[in-house]
Amino acid sequence: MFQNSSPISNAARRTVIQGEVMIGSGRNEILTTVLGSCIACCLYDPMARVGGMNHFLLAEPHGGSVQPLDEHYGLYLMELLINQMMAKGAVKSRMKAHIYGGANMHVGMTRIGDANAKFAQAFLEEEGIELVRSDVGGNSARRVDFDPVLGRARCRIVEPVAAPVPKPNVRAPLGSGDVELF
Amino acid sequence: MANAIHVLTVDDSKSMRALLRAALSSRGYEVSQAEDGVDALEWLTHNSVDVIVTDINMPRMDGFGLIDALRAQARFRDCPILVLSTESSDEKKARARSAGATGWIVKPFDADKLDQALRRVTH
Repeated sequence: MFQNSSPISNAARRTVIQGEVMIGSGRNEILTTVLGSCIACCLYDPMARVGGMNHFLLAEPHGGSVQPLDEHYGLYLMELLINQMMAKGAVKSRMKAHIYGGANMHVGMTRIGDANAKFAQAFLEEEGIELVRSDVGGNSARRVDFDPVLGRARCRIVEPVAAPVPKPNVRAPLGSGDVELF
Repeated sequence: MANAIHVLTVDDSKSMRALLRAALSSRGYEVSQAEDGVDALEWLTHNSVDVIVTDINMPRMDGFGLIDALRAQARFRDCPILVLSTESSDEKKARARSAGATGWIVKPFDADKLDQALRRVTH
């Protein structure tokens, strides 16, 4: 069930894949994603009725170990989400957050999901954004549906096969970090 | 920190400020920080720096407003100002350039590239 209920039968569905940020268009729509170790952060401003979702993975399995957290990448996707919402009239201090995912899918490996979830929680706390709902951890894949206008979300456990396998090198767009002197 | 290049970073994200401070301090810079354009202008009333690195999207006063305000003051007419933003559109870059920005860096930043740019514009 959607938090606070709400039918979604007529809503258009837009899928948010790893490394993406998507903002609601204001029409009747649902942002949706499937998560394993990844995190989806859903933000919304209840006054402006503007919301969006990102989907990121900071730590990845690599040759039996885990690469260090790439905080630049996580910060980039969080800032992109916040900035794109602000461009549509949202105010950062009014934003509410949901975070989902961060499952530890790979038995016997470092708890990648936990590391991703901790990053998201620490970011929200540091930025003063209220976390109103969190469903993270465990070892099951999740499907998340988020209504960006109403800020309602539904999170369901799904078969692990439904969760995308993390792809290495899913990183910020080309050109990031480039310097252009005028 | 004698002879260290003094940088003012302006960003409303506490997390980004922490990341910038860590990257620049470890490379020998003296780092001061402001939360937005208003905070930066107030701090610069009583202080001076060698270079300013500013975000664009910030509450109260954005990066464009800050650049406009600084270039209107004689003492900051020649101070290098680099924009550090998730934005990368030609339109926004042109706006920054016409306001008097010295350069544009796209987030997420590469600490070594940022270091090189800072040394180049303060040389």
